[in-house]
Formats: sequence, structure tokens, C-alpha cells
Amino acid sequence: MKIRRKYLFYALAFTSAIIAALVSTIDSTIINLYISDAWAFGVSCFIVGALISLIIILFFSIPVKKKSLGSRVIDPSFRRLRLFKKEELKYHLIAGFGNSILTIGYFFLLSMLRDPSTVLPFSQIAILYLVGIESITEKNIPTLSEIQSSVIVVFGAILGSISLTGTITLESMAIVFLVISPAWVLFSIYQRKLKMLKIDNRPNDALNIRFWNVVFACVFTIIIVTIYDFLMSSGHLLAGLNASIEHFGWVALTMGITFFSYVFYIRALGIGKASVTQAVRASTVLFAIPFSIILSYFNIIPPITTDPVMILLKIIGITLVILGIVSFALTLFKAYIFIRVKSGYSIEETMEKLWKINGVTRVAAVAAPYDIMVKIRTRTLVKGYERIVRKIEEIEAIKEYRWESVLKEWEKI
Amino acid sequence: MINAYVLTVMRPGNTDKAIKEMRKLENVEKISVVAGEYDIVIRVHVKSLGDLLKVTDKIQLIEGVKKTTTQVIEKEIAL
Repeated sequence: MKIRRKYLFYALAFTSAIIAALVSTIDSTIINLYISDAWAFGVSCFIVGALISLIIILFFSIPVKKKSLGSRVIDPSFRRLRLFKKEELKYHLIAGFGNSILTIGYFFLLSMLRDPSTVLPFSQIAILYLVGIESITEKNIPTLSEIQSSVIVVFGAILGSISLTGTITLESMAIVFLVISPAWVLFSIYQRKLKMLKIDNRPNDALNIRFWNVVFACVFTIIIVTIYDFLMSSGHLLAGLNASIEHFGWVALTMGITFFSYVFYIRALGIGKASVTQAVRASTVLFAIPFSIILSYFNIIPPITTDPVMILLKIIGITLVILGIVSFALTLFKAYIFIRVKSGYSIEETMEKLWKINGVTRVAAVAAPYDIMVKIRTRTLVKGYERIVRKIEEIEAIKEYRWESVLKEWEKI
Repeated sequence: MINAYVLTVMRPGNTDKAIKEMRKLENVEKISVVAGEYDIVIRVHVKSLGDLLKVTDKIQLIEGVKKTTTQVIEKEIAL
């Protein structure tokens, strides 16, 4: 069954966003009522999380009519729980380290601000970092529209984060800009790389990626907290182990739901660019509001402000986030370029030259009537001409080329 | 495994119906409606050349398909 790639992408990213809002509400409840120590919460969530993730992935490994349950209901690429491959190791190490740092940072932010509808918008700043990193790693210089959208989302997120309870501190800003966002970028980019890998000639599956990410993040968290305890003579590791036992139910609940949020997020990452996925997932700021109102009603977080200025700021922030997301989503052109190469020139060398052009996402040497097929991605047709066509024309080996704009596309996911 | 692009030229008026049929085919990874010399670019992923022939045969039998050209991928670089 082939469906429009973008529909699946948005369905996955929005589902992930809704679940993320729910998870933040549960996290906020836990940190406000049960485990106030962010280090200890970090340790306990990964220890319990590894166990819960193992149970979930074993459950989804159960075969049903020759296919695993996970393959039928979660990710068609999933077969069963498996050991990570050698080529996945370095990506898991970096993504696991990123997850460990961002989770501890996020719990610190949550313990400071308390309100999930304040913390979640703030965490969307990571999108700026992602656009910058993608311009380096994916040979895709951000266009003006991408920069505009990112800035709109970021300002919207900042406005959203100073409303409801009206709390904002320099310390929390430092955590967001220096800890959470860089760590989120590592986590997000390397999970995407894992998702793009082919394992045994099949696309890598989101369930195994998530499970091994939690395992690696657990190891890194224990190492980081142990070093911190050793240097500061504190006892966060022990507190974390105790919390894992005493509040097992709550931590298992949040980590169980988080598992699904990230599985959907990883699948979305395999379809869209990391920055666009992050932009859509930024809608979590909207979904967090009703949850925050519930928390406030039960006195778990401070009462939500009724100051009209604060409410107006919140509305402006949300509007900006939505506008940023929409403009991100609606400006992307794709095209195929069919190329014939002059005789006497190397196809492989020509492929390498084409691959170096910004915006080229795929180069394939093919057998007749054309020699090379190139797939490109550009934000505007003008940029497609300036950055791609002009560069192609500079390659001496190219005899002729044909540009075929993609009007609509379906893909097997 | 063999990957190939099947470049398809369509007769006017049948494209939507033909795409519906193409989406049902096994081994079809991607269907792109394009503007230019061709009308639809189909990416297929098969185990052997025999399977490739079966897929291209099925595509050619779809109503509205006027002509197909198969480009077998020999080497590929992708993000």
C-alpha cells in the first residue's frame, strides 16, 4: 500500500507531538509530587525505561500470521528485537549520549519552570540548531524561507514559554540554549541517520532504534551521574536507583508512553528532514495547554495567570509557531534530472561531481537511454536554477540533460 | 537486489486511474508524477531481472500507459 508520503509524515509527527504533551504532563506530575531531584529522575527514567522498552519490543516481536505484531501496527520495517549491527554502533553512541544529556537538562528545566506548557515551547529552540547542522551535513544550504520559518517558530516558542505561569529565568534559558538544544540536535540527527540505514536490505525500524537508544542513554546517564556524584560528593545515583523502585509505576507509565512518542518521531524522521519534523512536532506546545490547565486545576503546578497581557502573548506565540510550521511545510520542490554523458568521460567521476552540488539528494548511474539520473530538492525554482542547473552546465562531461519537475509523489514507507 | 526506474509515458485522461493501479503493485517503492518528457517515474526494488520484467509487464498492462523505458540502476549515491 502506497500513500502520500507527506500525509504519513504529518500523521506520525502530530501523533508524536500529542503523546509528547501527555508525557510532559506526567513528567511534571512526577517531578512536582514524587521525584524532585532532576538527576535522580534521569537515572530512574532510563533504568525503568530500558526495562519497559524491552517488554514493549518483545510484545511487538510476537509473530501474527508470519509477520510480527510490530510490523503490522507500528512500523512495517520491524521484524523482531535484534542486536544492533556494527555499522549502527557509532550512531547509537552519539544519539544515546545526546538523549542522556537532553533528558537530564529537560528534567532540570521542568523542576525549575514546573509547567509543561512553558517548558515545551522553550524546547523548540532546537529547530534553529537543526537547520544550521543540516546545512552542513546534508549539503542543503538553508533558504530564506527556511530561516524565516525557523525564526518565526523560535520567537513563537519564546513567547509561548513566558506566558501561563509567567515564569522565565536566565538559568533556564542557558539550559535550553547550551544543554537541551545541542543535545537534541545530536539525538535527532543521529537517530535520523540510523533510520536511513538499510539493515539486511530493509529500511531500519523505529522500534529497535528506540530500544537501543534507551539502553545507550541509560549507560551514559549512569556514567555521567556517577562522575558528578564522585566530583560533588552527592548521592544522585543512589537516589535514582531508589526512585526506580519506589515510584516504579509512575516512571514506567511515562517511559512506556514516551516509547511510542519516539517511535512515531523516528519514523517521521525517516521521511522528512530533521528540521521539518521538529517544526511539525513543535505543535506539541498547543497540545500541552489543556494538560497544563488540568495540572493547575489539581494544584500540581502553580495557578495559571489570568493576566490579559500574558494570555495575549501566549496566543501570539502559538500563532507564530503554527505559521512557522505551515511555511516550512509548503515550500519544497523536487525534480529528476536525466543526464546523458559524452563518450570518453567517466560516469563515476561525473557522478561524484554531481553529488557535490548543493540540493542533490540522489545520483544513480543507470543503463540506457540516459546514463545518470539525479534527484534534487530545492525550496524555490529560482534556487534550483541558480544552484543546480548552472552547476550541471559547468560539468564538461555532460552532453545533455532533461529536467522533470515532480508534481506529486507516493512512497512505500 | 536490483533497483530500477521505469519511465512512463501516459495517454491523456487516464493518469489518476493508472496511478491507483500502480500503487497496488508489489515491488514498487516510489511513484512520482512529473512534468516533462515523461509523465510518471516509478522506482522499483526487485530480487532479480526476472522479477523486474514481471513488474514492467504489469505496468505496461495498466490502462493508459503508452510507453515505458526501464533504467536499471548500476550504482547509486544517496543521502
